[in-house]
Amino acid sequence: MDGAIAAGEAQNGADWKVGVDIGGTFIDFCALEANSGRVASLKVLTTPDDPGAELMMGLTLLAEREGFDPSRMTRFVHGTTVGINTIIQRKGARLALFTNAGFEDVIELARLRMPEMYSLFCSRPDPLISRDMVFGIPARLRADGSECQAPDMTAVESAVAMAKANGAQGIIVSFLHAWRNSAQEASVKAAIARLAPELFVFTSAEVWPVIREYERSSTAILNGYVHPRVSGYLTALEEGLRSCGVPARPMLTKSNGGLMNAAEGKRACVNMLLSGTASGVIGASWLARQAGQDKVLTLDIGGTSADFALIIGGEPQFGTGEVIGEFPLHIPSVAVSSIGVGGGSIASVDAQGVLRVGPESAGSTPGPACYGRGGERATVTDAMVVCGWLGHTEMAYGQLRIHRELAQRAIGELAAQLGRTVEQAAQAIFDIAVSEMFVEVEKLASRAGVDLRDFTLMPFGGGGPMLGAFLARELGMNRVMAPRRPGVVSALGGLVADLRGDFIRTIFSSLSAASLPVIREAFEALAQEGRDWLAAQGHDAAAELNLSCDMRYVGQSYEIEVALSPQWLVDGDAATIAQAFHLTHQQLYDFHDPDGAIELVNVRLSAIGAGPSLSLPEIDEIDVPANPARRLPVYTGLSIESVDLHDRRTLVPGNTFHGPAVVVQEDTTFAIPAGAKARVDRHLNLLLTFME
Amino acid sequence: MFDRTNLQVLANHARAAAENMAHTLHRTAHSAFVKETQDFTVMLMDRSGATFAVPMELGATWYPGLSYHRAITMVGDYRPGDVAFTNDPYSGHVATHAPDTHLWKPVFIDGEIVAWTGGHIHNTDMGGAVPASLSRALTEIHQEGIRFPPMKLVREGVFDEMILRIMSTNVRKPELNIGDIKALVGALNTGERKIQAMVRKFGKAGFIEGVAALLDQAEAQARDVLRAMPDGTWEFVDYADEDSVEANPCRLKLTLTIKGDEAVLDFTGSDPQLGSSLNVPSGGDPRHTMLLVGVYYVLYTLNPKLLLNTGLTRPFTCITPQGSVLNPVHPAAVGMRSLTCARLRSVIFGAFSQAVPERLPAAPAGNNCIVNVMTVDERTSRSVIAAVNPVVGGGGAMPHRDGTNGSGADAAYLKNTPIEITETETPVEFVKYGLAKDSGGAGRWRGGLATEMAFRVFAPDSRITARNRDRSFFRPWGVLGGKAAGLSDMVVNPGTAHEKWLGNIDTAVLHPGDVLEIRSAGGGGRGDPHQREPWRVAQDVRRGYVSSAAAERDYGVIIHDGAVDELATGQLRARHRPAASHFHFGPERDGYEAHWTPAAYDRLHAILDALPIHWRFFAKTEIFRRMEGRSGPDGVQAAFDAACERFPELPRPQPVPQAAE
Repeated sequence: MDGAIAAGEAQNGADWKVGVDIGGTFIDFCALEANSGRVASLKVLTTPDDPGAELMMGLTLLAEREGFDPSRMTRFVHGTTVGINTIIQRKGARLALFTNAGFEDVIELARLRMPEMYSLFCSRPDPLISRDMVFGIPARLRADGSECQAPDMTAVESAVAMAKANGAQGIIVSFLHAWRNSAQEASVKAAIARLAPELFVFTSAEVWPVIREYERSSTAILNGYVHPRVSGYLTALEEGLRSCGVPARPMLTKSNGGLMNAAEGKRACVNMLLSGTASGVIGASWLARQAGQDKVLTLDIGGTSADFALIIGGEPQFGTGEVIGEFPLHIPSVAVSSIGVGGGSIASVDAQGVLRVGPESAGSTPGPACYGRGGERATVTDAMVVCGWLGHTEMAYGQLRIHRELAQRAIGELAAQLGRTVEQAAQAIFDIAVSEMFVEVEKLASRAGVDLRDFTLMPFGGGGPMLGAFLARELGMNRVMAPRRPGVVSALGGLVADLRGDFIRTIFSSLSAASLPVIREAFEALAQEGRDWLAAQGHDAAAELNLSCDMRYVGQSYEIEVALSPQWLVDGDAATIAQAFHLTHQQLYDFHDPDGAIELVNVRLSAIGAGPSLSLPEIDEIDVPANPARRLPVYTGLSIESVDLHDRRTLVPGNTFHGPAVVVQEDTTFAIPAGAKARVDRHLNLLLTFME
Repeated sequence: MFDRTNLQVLANHARAAAENMAHTLHRTAHSAFVKETQDFTVMLMDRSGATFAVPMELGATWYPGLSYHRAITMVGDYRPGDVAFTNDPYSGHVATHAPDTHLWKPVFIDGEIVAWTGGHIHNTDMGGAVPASLSRALTEIHQEGIRFPPMKLVREGVFDEMILRIMSTNVRKPELNIGDIKALVGALNTGERKIQAMVRKFGKAGFIEGVAALLDQAEAQARDVLRAMPDGTWEFVDYADEDSVEANPCRLKLTLTIKGDEAVLDFTGSDPQLGSSLNVPSGGDPRHTMLLVGVYYVLYTLNPKLLLNTGLTRPFTCITPQGSVLNPVHPAAVGMRSLTCARLRSVIFGAFSQAVPERLPAAPAGNNCIVNVMTVDERTSRSVIAAVNPVVGGGGAMPHRDGTNGSGADAAYLKNTPIEITETETPVEFVKYGLAKDSGGAGRWRGGLATEMAFRVFAPDSRITARNRDRSFFRPWGVLGGKAAGLSDMVVNPGTAHEKWLGNIDTAVLHPGDVLEIRSAGGGGRGDPHQREPWRVAQDVRRGYVSSAAAERDYGVIIHDGAVDELATGQLRARHRPAASHFHFGPERDGYEAHWTPAAYDRLHAILDALPIHWRFFAKTEIFRRMEGRSGPDGVQAAFDAACERFPELPRPQPVPQAAE
């Protein structure tokens, strides 16, 4: 994206827009000067202790190296792992849960089913609120929202006293059928505010008012659990930016791929839990649209995991039920599949003499053996170094040096156990890592019902370009597109993202002409909420309001989301809505039932305020073979071959070359297998095509 | 010989194919049985029909060791595009009750079959005497729906419309059956394509050798687990509460012999086949997957990297006498074999628990009760049939932690339905859904708690079925000093003047306003409860898992105002004498076995085994009927003599061999 330009008028003075993404190993910076179109990127190693301080340090470095002027920063977009780490490390707030008497075990029972169903030692995660901090309040709504029993305020009073005595910092209130009627929750919240104003309170209906008591309670609990840390972090960030003289108010990336302001982030913390992975897919979608790629499989490989997502029609896919640590998150999120295999995954030989990779990982500390930071066990990264694909230049903006001899030693031990050469063992590790990812992608594709042969693989992250082309071959995909700066795609995603707020009402009625007024009423209320939300985010331009409904055939126990035109509601056109549902059902599940009665569960609305309109500059492609910087020996599976090494900085649009080849750049190394034809496109993307 | 350095790559490709099939089926199936309950399997099979790969995330856990070999050979002349099927539990011993329809498809390369893809779906209904084709009360297979012996369903890509028409004519929800079967055919086609891709990648010979290596690898893993166990012979017995409407216990007996890296599971001594649908149709196959499900759990628990395929079954030999509940002969009914299978698993867990006591948990609750309601919606006057929730109990206490509460172990695959969804769709109102205090077996590690569910109905004649109810009399056992768990129960209108205890009954008819409360059993405890840290007991009391009375009685921990009274606890615990026996069964089973001693059962079996198969269940029932005031082998003999007096036609067996006593 060197030389990207912002649409609109050039102004006097610099206009910096900065995206910052904090991952497990690095903080990534992507800064764009909107007048000149200049892009600067940076990675700073992170330690989990104080990401905020490193963020400020990175901004200082960026200012020193790139002449970026903090007082000229008009946009600052930030994705952070502070929320998700709080959950993974279980360092969140001490909470109490107030729920209906008789149903106190709602979060422990969850949906019953456990992972690892063949193991007698399988278990569900311990809930974030232990049972002695769950208080059953006599209260009951019926399914239609009418009150059967009013909340017993004496019980609330004693529960508050007990919660306080047990050290609660906050209280989550979640009652059955609050999706239909939130008044009981609200009245208990008001009572708590009177009794214990020092405690924060979230009700299930205000966090995400959706039917299904476990999912709604658990979402509210996640929100409260991370609330004190996230809000403290954001307050510190705001102050830090102010003290650096930054005029922009920070915006935050959300799990839904959109943005919100910091004030919202402090309250609706649950929305930013997956911000990093989501903005990676948003950045990738933007790059795909720029390059005219319609169907893309993204592959983001880090030290401990690999993330995959589908982009269809240039748009990311959304889902609910993404997993946060050990807990499912039930708000709309950019759908990303993850597998615990990454560059740091450790290879070992099992008792029966079979070589395996993972699930253990060397992570970022000590990291792969070749990092020379104390790791001694062989990892996937070490295998790539031994084969010769990796380790020819400094990595990660000069912050990592590769110790080839340490990789050799680590892999050598396994090679001895297997009775193979060190290169053969390295190749086997690498093949297994690719095959582990193959399993996950095959599952993703079969769930989505797509044929991957129609897709282009877009690798990003530090490790994506290392394995991406090999995975594409395994999947039968013929096209790979490597963006110019794969290391900062998530940070870029924040830069280009829109404001996006999601709103939901559970309706639960049959679809008929008679139920349309109810849907229309819900839509109008949601639309107003959406406009108010955008206004509160400081957005004064046009709003895009996308309406959809979750529907199902009567008797099914899950819904599918169907996009609706508001005009259908105005016209009272139930038949068209039914038709849209049948069609979506057919697309997703390969069948539909034209006579089936349809149930409408939720009405959803996304309010979108468009982000800055940016585009990549186009440079004419001039067909000319690329000049390799040098040649180097690489073990390509059967023998050591002499392979071209290209420096990404010297590649210009129209350059072509053939695999096997290695392309090095400051934030990653791109391994290109034999049989690939590489071409640099007009946006400086590197496109690979494989001949059948 | 396949290069073992690359075996994991092949294993991953095989698993990817299986996962792909499972997701394809799950995505395109029509019925709630497949979509929600996930009662389906898919698999890849070698040339002989032995499963070499299954999915790990979707579907049921029963069939990774299933071989389709016998069923495959009952259909000949396979051509590309053919799909064969069967749902007959008595042909080929692939299907295990009529609702389970198994399909298989050959994968051809260069005109040669290199592999098979296969799988099953549980059809919502296959016709027969009752909706859903399942009832404990059914007495012969013909009442359990239409059966198709192995035959071609699809010929060279074209469905046999006649078969579909015959099925549609005989079942209650034909569109669900046909939709699911077509979805399964789609999944088999997907599997076929994936196998063809694997053959392209690994070569035909490489693929065939690799598949053999995967089976060998699983076998080697299983043998390694067995080799790490001591040699020896262990016996274990467990009971299902009721064998039929006659309500006598159904006894399963296992003699496990481990020698080196092999094991024999001898089920001799298990009850004769039953006049109900609780029979398990294994066909006497020494490695039938249904008999070995408990073994898969044991192996996987001891080695979580286990490859799940037929290779696992090779070191095991099962002995199931013909005419027994685990090897019934036609036309015994088999629809509800899942209840017996749960007990079969706990028998296997109990035997292995003696072999490696340090490494395995206590008994899981073992009653995977599925609750259905038939009632009338007063708002619309329409009748409604709905599944409410499974009421399952906790896992057994583990060597390193408490059993999981509310479900777990061999019931971990079950999912519940949100209360809010059920109440919105079905005219019932829940009073309670949660964990039952004091239901987990006490122990150094506590067994998982039972689930308790209570709901109210509003219409007259509301009918409830609670399939697979069990453990209302014989408790899930504790081990190594740990105590047996709480019992399951079903009560109408608990705590009112109209209270009615239903015991082990699995159906109920409710009046308007009635509340039905169903409780599962809990998981067994492990280790001496007096060794449990007092702070952990106090925590259980604070959390409402254990009452303070039980803390004192079972754990010797005295709690005042939420805190442990150290002094009083120390004094109480000082008087404690730890239990010496490996198992704790609880007073009910101890009381039962005081009359029904092992010797009494030996005599019973000696009598019954000498009778023709179709007399045995009748004779068992008549003997039980006459056991009042009798016990031991002599009591059994006297009861039998009395039965013979009443029924002179009862064939008199040959003289009983004396060696048994």
